[in-house]
Parts: sequence; structure tokens; C-alpha cells
Amino acid sequence: MSSDHAHEDAPPLTEDIAPGTAADPAVGGPDRATVTVDGVEVTVAAGSTLLDAVEAVDTADSVPALCSYDRQEIGPRSECRTCMVETEADGIVPACSHPAEDGMAVSTDAEAAAEARDVNLDLVLSNHNLRCTTCGKNGRCELQDAAIDEEVEEPRYGVLDDREEYEPLDDTSSFIQIDRNKCILCNRCVDACNDVQVEGVLRMEGSGQDTRIGFQSDAETMEDSTCVSCGHCATVCPTGSLVEKGIEDATTIPLPGFTQKNSIGKSVESSGRSKGPMTPKKRDADRCESGDPSANGSTPNAPAAEDVADDGWAGFEGGEWP
Amino acid sequence: MASIIAAEGPTIRISGAGSSPDLLSVAADADVRAVEVGSTGVPALEPLVTVTDGDETAFHTACSTAEMDTIVASVAAGSDVRAAEPDAVAEHDPDTARFPAVDLSGLGGDRRRMLGGAGWRRPTNPADHEAAGGFGDPGPDAVLAAGEAIHGRGWGDICQDTPLTPTWETVRDTGGDPAVVVNGHGNPADALLLASAPYDVLDGATAVADCVGAEAVIVYASTADERAVETVREAAAEHPEGSPAIDVVAGPAEYRAAEPTMALEAVEGNHRLEARIRPPGPESVGLHGQPTVLHTPRTLAQLSASLRDGDADATRAVTVQGDVAAPVTVELAASATLADAVDAVAVDGEFKAACVGGRFGGLTRDLDVSIAPEPLTDADLGTEGTVQILAADRCVLEFVGKRAQFAADENCGRCVPCREGTTQLAELLRDIYDGSYAPEDIEELVRVMDTSSICAFGVEAGRPARTALAEFEAELQAHADGTCPTDSCPETVEVT
Ligand code: SF4
Ligand code: SF4
Ligand code: SF4
Ligand code: FES
Repeated sequence: MSSDHAHEDAPPLTEDIAPGTAADPAVGGPDRATVTVDGVEVTVAAGSTLLDAVEAVDTADSVPALCSYDRQEIGPRSECRTCMVETEADGIVPACSHPAEDGMAVSTDAEAAAEARDVNLDLVLSNHNLRCTTCGKNGRCELQDAAIDEEVEEPRYGVLDDREEYEPLDDTSSFIQIDRNKCILCNRCVDACNDVQVEGVLRMEGSGQDTRIGFQSDAETMEDSTCVSCGHCATVCPTGSLVEKGIEDATTIPLPGFTQKNSIGKSVESSGRSKGPMTPKKRDADRCESGDPSANGSTPNAPAAEDVADDGWAGFEGGEWP
Repeated sequence: MASIIAAEGPTIRISGAGSSPDLLSVAADADVRAVEVGSTGVPALEPLVTVTDGDETAFHTACSTAEMDTIVASVAAGSDVRAAEPDAVAEHDPDTARFPAVDLSGLGGDRRRMLGGAGWRRPTNPADHEAAGGFGDPGPDAVLAAGEAIHGRGWGDICQDTPLTPTWETVRDTGGDPAVVVNGHGNPADALLLASAPYDVLDGATAVADCVGAEAVIVYASTADERAVETVREAAAEHPEGSPAIDVVAGPAEYRAAEPTMALEAVEGNHRLEARIRPPGPESVGLHGQPTVLHTPRTLAQLSASLRDGDADATRAVTVQGDVAAPVTVELAASATLADAVDAVAVDGEFKAACVGGRFGGLTRDLDVSIAPEPLTDADLGTEGTVQILAADRCVLEFVGKRAQFAADENCGRCVPCREGTTQLAELLRDIYDGSYAPEDIEELVRVMDTSSICAFGVEAGRPARTALAEFEAELQAHADGTCPTDSCPETVEVT
């Protein structure tokens, strides 16, 4: 746990970091490789993915690659699947995490790959609070860019817009505001916090629709977490999910009465305790230690977690649940 | 302990969990040789008491303590095995190490080569296993040769429906510190093998370990399958050879935990289970980053049967469940059909359809399909080795709706096509009740889940809906028009 930070002779912090993500293999190709993308040959360095090749040429179709970051020690998470391309050897694959190997042929405009990118982008939007006008990342949001580039007019599955379904805004920290309704679960913040800053604050937790970013210390709010306010998570976040406080309304369109905060309805407010130094000392070391790692991940414990909507199949009797 | 195979004088076997201690004590009081063996896979016949004397075995199904008294008295009096009015009698080789073929539903045929020890040998008794030709030392070349012809069984196997040898060669060539993982999570036949014939599984696993140079075999199973976990643990402790070391790990009782990379995550101790991206797959970067072979017990039991008697890849274990009196696991020749499997159960009501191939199997009315992987795949059915029966009063829309909702609730949450796709799929199916039936939208969504999900969970999650669209178009359309043909969801159907 991150509380080990306080001890001089503690083992390296990374050993205890539990980001809640799978131990992925390294994904780059083993050697320098020449790949054909839409008929154009391109040579990429050892350790490259197909996305490196795709990005090096002017492709037939655009490939949003929404969750890809691929700098520092961040990603690929390969979860949004808006980077699907067709390969001769392996069929349809995600470019961002598929190793580039010599002689591979990739096409971006194959019908099935284009369909997968398109549907997956709509699926990302289906679980997104798309109130761009009150969002602090309006105009500098990668999801917005992708949706504009792909000319999404009416996403086929709609967007998250039912007030009952919103997770409350976490406005407790003096430095970072979290709006999980805008999170695309790209995991960049988790990697930034754990692998780059080695702070071990953030993690991925839950499963299915309850999957969310949370805290390794089992804290419920940013204020109660062990965050040192370095801000790296907000820097890498592609959407308005993590925004530095003070600029959370910087790019909103000034409509009287509408702000990012009241656009959702509910928010969790600061207890007042976290006001103070820019980098509040990590506190409650024993809180972290008592965090039972086995509790990691099964049930998110945010205030809104209980608001699971009635699934509509509940009324059925006699149907044996498999 | 001596082997019970071909023992002198009569032997009573008590098969099936639960009531055996009572039955066993009846025999102990009369000083008659009786042993507890594992389940046969046909719980409807259990407790199943068999009396073997020389080349004859008598079968007493669903045996009560009173019947046991009669059986034991008859054996003690030295009577013929037929004297105690058995339900069936079979003749066999007096030294048979496998459950003899008998004309009882679920136990017929002569194909019990993989499940042959189940109900016949004591699961954790090495002498019984040795007498059955077990604990052989086949050598890497024989193993590599056998693996060419065997295809991996089950979605928990990294060689699902593909030959084993190329994967072993990758593991060997990758170097490092290879591991062998036995993935016994989630499939009834796998749990049965671990609980009733664990040495057949371990023989396969140690043969693979020797072949790829692995020092460790890890058996992984669900905490929900207590008997399997306990039995294989005991069997590992009694295993005569020290090397490789055998460890048993119980993982969470969640459906997704059987997915091979999530199995590795669970074995490594990650409490939040999500799939790993691949390539590279576990055969190059697996357990703790080392090259890893991961097979299901069914695959490994096939391997050890094939190493013992040749005749590779010849049978399939099929579990029939759903609207049936009692679920059954049978072993059939690969040329058998789904109908042969269904013959082993009593369907509860009139047969309507079957969901073939696991939770996310395909729906079919036609049972005249061979249980081999290719014909199943061609019919858009799954190869997981389960057949779930839907009786006539079962609503197909309700069934596939629940499967979609299950997928939405139980996925790992990692990738968009599965996490969000299953949620939207459940929505699209629910919309049918509101009169909006959009088959093209469902097909498009399911296609994308299939082509772009990270793991088999998302790839297969849409199959029940996809096959229902193809097979039960009229029934789905009827819901959109406001009626449920099976009358099982009347209140819910409202057309606006
Ligand atoms: S600001 Fe806090 S949560 Fe974000 S990266 Fe830094 S320490 Fe981690
Ligand atoms: S908060 Fe931002 S960086 Fe973190 S997972 Fe969500 S979208 Fe990605
Ligand atoms: S397909 Fe489903 S279970 Fe598999 S990685 Fe994706 S979200 Fe997880
Ligand atoms: S960019 Fe490849 S999956 Fe998101």
C-alpha cells in the first residue's frame, strides 16, 4: 500500500500497488517490421504495434483509436476497440495492441473492421454523459474529437442522459474533480498514478456496468484518498472525467444557470478538511493498511452504487436463471 | 491400501455423494467389503450401489438403507450377485478397471474411456489407479504424438477445438520456467473428473509437464465445486511421484473466472478478475510471465486415455441439463448426435429446443447434429459440452433476454464491445416487448461483439440471441405484436 512511502526502508512501492487490472503481456512486435497498410509499405521499429504503422500512413478509413495513449508507461489498455483493422493473417484485430510483424498486410477500409469501429464508438457514447456544453474539457476532449471526426450525428444507442443513472460528481478534492459519467475506462489515469507517479492511489474496480475508477485505499472520495495532487491523472485523461479544479468550467458555454455540477444533479462535496497545503500529507496511514485487499473490486462502494436500475427481467417467474 | 480392481470375492461400490456414509456403515457392520467411489455423472441413479463378483456386476439404483441391508445380507450369505434383485446386471472382464457398460439410462454404451474410473475406482486411491494402467511414464515423444490428434475441450482451454501439440511446442521453444495449469473451473464434466477420477486428469497434466519441461502443475477450480477441490487436493497429496509439484488453487465462483487468462489472474492472486489482452497468449507469456499450458480436465483425461490405450480423441463428455428431471453427464463417441445425449435424460415436459454449448451456446430445435466440434460450429452451436433443454412452455425471448442480462452483469468490464454491447443487447431484446423488433440492429451488435471483444466471453455472449433470431423469428415477432406464444410472459407483453 502507498502508506509504505513513509518508511525509509520499505520495499519498493510498486510491489504493493494493486491497480485492479490484468497483468498484460508486452504487446509490441519483437523486431523491426515492414507492414503494408492499405497498400502502402511502412517500416516500424521493434516493439511497435499495428497502430504505429497505421498512424504513419494516410489511411483509407479513419481509425479513431480512442483509448490509445502509448506514451510513458501508459497503455495500451485496448478496451475501446475503435481501432479495429483487418489483417490478412489474423482477421480483424485491435491495431493498438496487435504486434507489428514483418510482412503483415492491414486494411482499414475492410467492411467488418469499419463496422466494428463505428459500433464500438457508439457503444462508448452509450454510456457517456454527453453534456459537452457544461464540460470542462469541451474543445479539448478526445472523445469529442473522435465523435466529430467520425461524423457521429446520432449515436445508435443514444447517450447516458437519465438523471437517475448518473453517478454523483466527486467534488471533494480541492484539486481534481471526478465525473465518472464521462469516464471511458481507458485506464490512463490508473497507469499514470501507479506506473508513472508511483503513488498507488487509483485503481480499476468492479465489473460489468459497475466497472469504475476508484481508490486502492478503499476510500470513497478523492478527498479521503491518499492522493498527493500531482495532477498527472487529470493531464492524461482524454475526457472530462478528471478535471483540475478551478478550470472545471473554463470551456463551458455560458448558459445562465447551467454548470458542470448542476448538469448532473448530485455531487459529493468536500468535508472542508482538505483545504490547506497544495500537497496535503497522505493521511490515515492505518486506513490504508486496514484496507482488505480481498474486498478489492467486487462492489464499488460509492454513494450511487446502490442505484442499480431495475433490469426489467425481474418480473419473470419460473424462468430458471442459468 | 490394496487395489479393489479384480479383488478376490465380492466388492460393493457405493457411488454418489451424500448418503454414502450410512450405506457404508451397513456394510461395515456386516464385515463385507464395501468402498466409496465417486459419482458416475448420472446423479439420478445415485446412490448407485454395485456388487461385483468375478465377471458379473449387479446395479442397484437410488439405493436406500433398507435395500442396502438386503444387498449386504445377500453378499454375506455368499449368494449370487443377482439374488438381491438388482435393477440391472452386466457381464464384463473380471479385471476391468472401467465402469462396465450396462443398460441403464446414462450408463449405456462402451465409450466410458475417459469417465471409466468414475464410479468404479476410488478417486484418491493410487493403487486403484495403478491397477488401471495409470502413473505411466510415456515420454515426451509419445506425448507429442498423442497431442497431434487431440483437440482441446472447453472454453477454459487455450487449445479449444484445436490440436494440442503446436501449443506445447511453442511453450517448449519459448524457454523460461514453464507451468501447466489444469483449468477445472465451471464445467460440470470437468468438476466430475476432478471429483471422481482425478488421477486420470493428473496423469495427463504430468505427462504434459514432463513434455514441456514444467516443474509445476497447478489445478484451478471453482470454490463452488467443493468436492472437486477437496478430492483433487487429496489425490495430489497421495500422488506417488514427487515431481512435478502439484498445487491446487480455488478461484471465485464466477462464470467469467473460467476464461483462461482470468484463470491465470486468479491463480496469481489478483482479486479483480479481468481478461488479459493477447497476443501474445499464455503459451508465450502466461503464469507470472512464463510460458504456460492451460488445459481443461476433459482435455487432459482424453490425453491420458489416449496415452494408455491409443484411440485418440474418440469421445466427448456431454452434460445435459435444463428442463430435465436430473442433469446427466455422459460420454459419447464423437460421431454421436445431440439426440443421443438427450436420450440419457428424462425431459421435463415436451422438448422444444436446446441451448447447445455452454451459457452462451446456440439455440436449436434440430438434435440431429453430431457432437463433434465442426458440425456444431457449422450449425452455430457451441462446443462447450453442455446441452440445456428448453421444454415447450419455455419462452425463447425470456431465455435469451436472461442470457444477455447475465452477460451484462457478469462480464469483467474491460472491453467496450462486451461491457456496453451486452447492456445494449439486453435493451434491444427488452424493446421487443414494447413492439420494437429490430433484427438487423441485433445482428449488427452481436457481429461486432463477436469480432472485437477481448475474450471468448464477449465473443460468445451474443450467440443465444443470434441463433434465436435465426430459429425462432416467429416467436420473437409475436412478442413484438403483443403475444407470448408460450403464454409465459403475459403481464409483461404490452403493446404501446
Ligand atoms: S493527482 Fe492523485 S490520483 Fe492523480 S495521479 Fe496524482 S496522486 Fe494519483
Ligand atoms: S477518468 Fe479519464 S483517464 Fe481515467 S479511465 Fe476514465 S477516461 Fe480514462
Ligand atoms: S469480452 Fe467481456 S469478459 Fe472478456 S475482456 Fe471483454 S469485457 Fe471482459
Ligand atoms: S485504441 Fe485500440 S482498443 Fe482503444
